[in-house]
Amino acid sequence: MSFRFLHTSDLHLGKAFGGYPEAIRNRLREARHGSIARLAQAARQGGAATVLLAGDTFDAETPAPETLRHALSAMADEADITWLMMPGNHDSLAATELWRKIAADGPTNLRPVLSTEPLALAPNAYMLPAPCTQRRPGRDLTEAMDTATPEAAIRIGLGHGAITDFSGEEGVAGIIPPDRAARSGLDYLGLGDWHGRMQVNLSTWYSGTPECDGFKHALTPGALLVTLDGPGAVPQVSVAETGALVWIATNLDLLPGDDVLARLQDSLPAPQGRRDQLIRLAATGRLALAERAAFEVELARIAPDFGWFASDLASLAVDAHPDDLDLIDRAGALRQAAEALMAEASDQSLAQSARDVAASALSRLYAYAQEERP
Amino acid sequence: MKIRAIELSNIRHFAGRRASLSGIGDGITVLSEPNEFGKSTFFDALHALFFEKHRSSKAPVKALQPYAGGAPEVTVEVDLPDGRFQISKRWLSRAMARVSDANGRIVALDDEAEAWIAQLLGAGLAGPSGLLWVRQGLMGLEPEGRSAEDNRERERGLAARRDLMSSVAGEIDMMTGGRRMDGVLDRANAALTRLATTTGKPKAGGEWARAVDEAAALAAQEQGLRAKMLQLGDGLRRRSEVMRSQAALAHPQAVVARDTAVADARAAHQSALAHVEKRQAAARDLTLADLTLDAASKDITRLDRLSERVRVAAEAQKAASDKASLAHSRAEELAAKDRSATEIAAAATGVSRGFRLRLAVAQKAQLASSARQRAGELARLLARALELQQQLQADHALGGLLKITPQAIASAEKSQNLFDRLTAQSEAQAVLLQFSYSGDARAISSARVVDDTPQRLQEATEFSLPGIGRLRIDPGIARGGDIGTSIAEATAALAKHLAACDAADLPEARRHLANAQRLDGALQQTALLLADVAPDGVDALRQAHVTALAEAGDADGPAEDAATLEVMVTAAERTEAEQVAIAKTAHALAVAAGEHRAQTEADQKSAHRTAIEAADEAGDLAILAQGLADLRAALPELAQRAAEAAALSARLKAEAPDLETAAARLARASTASDQARREADALREELASLNTRIELLAEQGIEETLDEIIGTRSAAEARAGRYETEVQALSRLRRALEDARAKARDAYFGPVMRELEPLLAILHPGAALLIDDQSLLPVALTRDGQPEALDILSGGTREQLAILTRLAFARLFARGGQTVPVILDDALVHSDDDRIEAMFTALHRVAKDQQILVLTCRQRAFAALGGERAKVVVTQA
Repeated sequence: MSFRFLHTSDLHLGKAFGGYPEAIRNRLREARHGSIARLAQAARQGGAATVLLAGDTFDAETPAPETLRHALSAMADEADITWLMMPGNHDSLAATELWRKIAADGPTNLRPVLSTEPLALAPNAYMLPAPCTQRRPGRDLTEAMDTATPEAAIRIGLGHGAITDFSGEEGVAGIIPPDRAARSGLDYLGLGDWHGRMQVNLSTWYSGTPECDGFKHALTPGALLVTLDGPGAVPQVSVAETGALVWIATNLDLLPGDDVLARLQDSLPAPQGRRDQLIRLAATGRLALAERAAFEVELARIAPDFGWFASDLASLAVDAHPDDLDLIDRAGALRQAAEALMAEASDQSLAQSARDVAASALSRLYAYAQEERP
Repeated sequence: MKIRAIELSNIRHFAGRRASLSGIGDGITVLSEPNEFGKSTFFDALHALFFEKHRSSKAPVKALQPYAGGAPEVTVEVDLPDGRFQISKRWLSRAMARVSDANGRIVALDDEAEAWIAQLLGAGLAGPSGLLWVRQGLMGLEPEGRSAEDNRERERGLAARRDLMSSVAGEIDMMTGGRRMDGVLDRANAALTRLATTTGKPKAGGEWARAVDEAAALAAQEQGLRAKMLQLGDGLRRRSEVMRSQAALAHPQAVVARDTAVADARAAHQSALAHVEKRQAAARDLTLADLTLDAASKDITRLDRLSERVRVAAEAQKAASDKASLAHSRAEELAAKDRSATEIAAAATGVSRGFRLRLAVAQKAQLASSARQRAGELARLLARALELQQQLQADHALGGLLKITPQAIASAEKSQNLFDRLTAQSEAQAVLLQFSYSGDARAISSARVVDDTPQRLQEATEFSLPGIGRLRIDPGIARGGDIGTSIAEATAALAKHLAACDAADLPEARRHLANAQRLDGALQQTALLLADVAPDGVDALRQAHVTALAEAGDADGPAEDAATLEVMVTAAERTEAEQVAIAKTAHALAVAAGEHRAQTEADQKSAHRTAIEAADEAGDLAILAQGLADLRAALPELAQRAAEAAALSARLKAEAPDLETAAARLARASTASDQARREADALREELASLNTRIELLAEQGIEETLDEIIGTRSAAEARAGRYETEVQALSRLRRALEDARAKARDAYFGPVMRELEPLLAILHPGAALLIDDQSLLPVALTRDGQPEALDILSGGTREQLAILTRLAFARLFARGGQTVPVILDDALVHSDDDRIEAMFTALHRVAKDQQILVLTCRQRAFAALGGERAKVVVTQA
């Protein structure tokens, strides 16, 4: 009587990642494509033969031909898995060319879900889909999940979009009510759109993306292995990790006197596996000239360890003292230039941009002066 | 230190002799001697004394040795803060160095003396072309040669300047950052140069420019892709619309609806057409029935009328015959009455004519009598008119003689006045002569005896005095001549004007004028009277008189009373009119009766013809009656049939559908069906086209590419932004460094510039010198805002600036407590008169607290310099 399946969404195959350097960009795209095989493997390992794709399988309404072809081919390769692919807002039903091609070229184990008609997943399990009709449909598509199914059948809803907690007035148009599962008598409501994994209530889940595409969500990416023992039973949900690349955003608040290098080391993952990690480090606080110089040198040193590494020091102020300026020169024109820049960097009457330029100039002066030892 | 005396022994052409220069003062001291005197020898000897060791045999020392050989020796007396000292050196043979005080006591000898001298020079008294001394012909601030000695001198000068500047302002490296500053600036400039142009723009080929270019290229690419995206989106939307439209058109219900609509419309149209045909048939039946009924009715009517015509014609024939007979009798009777009335009327006419003739005779006689009376009156009027006419003509004739006007009278009066005045004047001027006779003898003039009454002589007059002779009295030609002429002219004018008035004198003329005026009034009155008597003229009056006479004719005897005759004529004419009217009526009745008789006779004939014709047309009257009876019997049935046909036609008309509406409905349904078919064809074609276009665009993966381009463009823009920030930081750093170094340089060179500026202002007001922080010497002169490198200036200017700079440094020495003499060996040789005067002024400005020794061969030119004059005394050694 029980039915088990893998719930996932938001593969965003073909996402361009244009803001990243070419090397990591290609890896990011490849990782998204590889998620198909990893999902199949996760389903297989979890004892599920069905994978429900709750929208946004493709990042664009008209993906590149190779993106589509590779995806269909990868799904075909997992012949023991049945893929049920429902349109999301990125690949909505308005993407007629996409769905025409999928219908024409898709493998037999791929079933596009293009209407709200209940779909039999198993003799006793029906899926009630709510495919996105447009990028912004403007209405609650999951209302269609009220449709009746055979008596004593497991009812699985599959939707795509945002929810609200209805703490205010009436439900907002186009927003999925969080109690949709209860309203429509669903045993499980699998949702897509939110890239992080999230449980809304006992029977309603966002699976999140199987492969991270940004620093927003800190959770380890994966899919949900769902087991439904029968109508009315609480779904048993477990996470199957599927991510290939790890995205880490870290903040480092620094103060003069800190052991900057140690703090940096602590904030970063262990040296193993750094090639598969993308790091975004934001430093705040302030450092003395020498400390900042050392910090920047260390950042430049470790950056190539990672798949991608970016540091944002815009909020890290230079805390320059006379002693620091002594490291530039004790007197004379260099010292005077350093003092002028330091005064400008800390002059609150100036615009922040002007202060930042002065601070940056002071850092350069420090660095050049160290290279020009007396 | 101040030099007081110099003594040379056995040096160059002072071989075997001693040359002494003494009397050197505190300020300017001039040694002015001609060429070849040995001034430069003194300069070289001083240089050797201070800078060549006594054991030296270098070229500068050997150069002092005379050709004959021997040991050159130099002694200098100097004043120091400690007092006067004498410094002596001898080279090459029995070399020695010695310093003694004013008392002759030796202070130091040989090496100790050299150390004493070196200490003295510790302030940096560089060589003859160094800091303070100017050698003959040197125009720059440093030796320009490449020899080792020149190099040494340059180094000594630089060291001296550095020492001097450091003593007053610190180390220049310390101040300006020195080499480290250069290195840092070089690094900042190098980094900046890699990224930006001198104006702060991205440098072509640099990272910044590449990032900017890449962002721009990607933005352009993005724009193109967005356009394609729009095309694709439009295509997809349109394809959805097309497919929806196709589905709607091809939907079975829609197809059935269109087909049904066409079939229904067609059936309705056919039905309407059939109905129309029925209506037309019914109308035809109705028309036929109506025509049949109408024909039967007309036949009955015709037969009825024919029977009636036969009967009426017979009756008419009889009536016409009766009327013709009656009319004949009446016509005979009225003809008799006509003849009788005509005779009576003729008699009445004869009576009336007789009375009218008598009345005409009586009226003619009455008219003649009246004409006679009028002819008498006209004769009287004509006589009066003729009388008036004659008077008028006479007055006109008289008026013609009295042609005089008030203007002519006025002219005559004026001439008379002039004449009177002239005459009075002449008489007043005339000689009054009066003879008084006592005897008989009388004076005779112009054969006339002159009496004793006083007389005036207005012209020369000769008197015959009997027994005495002749006496001629002339009142004077001059007086009398003019008046006489004027009087003659006035007389002529008066005569002329009086002649115009046809008068002998003025009163007569006035009378003439009065007569003329009276005559004119009479003329007007006579004309008025004539117009009253004969308004139409005398001739018309005369003609009227003739006419009246003619009308009066010949009256013969008394006539009948016209009034009575008129009454009788009226009564006779009334009787005549009545009889004539009766005769006319009788005649008219007779004529009418005749005409009536003729008409009745014609009617009688016509009725006879009609009766014959009707009888001919009716034929057998029995048959006619039978036919009429048959028709009358069939008429009800025909009427029934016509009514039925009319009822059917009316019903069909009431039930008839609108054929035009049915046709329009059919056309609409057919058009809609055709339109749907054409639309389906068009949609099919458009869909095929859209599919091709969409497939082409979709195959390009535009959306993915666009996303990638947006990302890479954003990254490129961010990178460009970082480079821009970097350039800003580097630019700021460079500016900070340059500002700091400029301030340091200003601080470092401040002291010497403060000394130099007033001296420079003497020669070049407003000019400034730029001092190089490496050589510590001026390298450029800025005049009027334009900097000029020293090496492109004229030799004279360069020499002047070199001297001024030395003077400035000399003043710095002085401010440091060390007075060092400035020695100029044949300097200012290139200066013009104005500049040399200015230089003299500058020298004097410095000489207030500075010893200056000037060696020159230009005695006249340097005469204006002033200062002390020194002399060289040469004695045998």
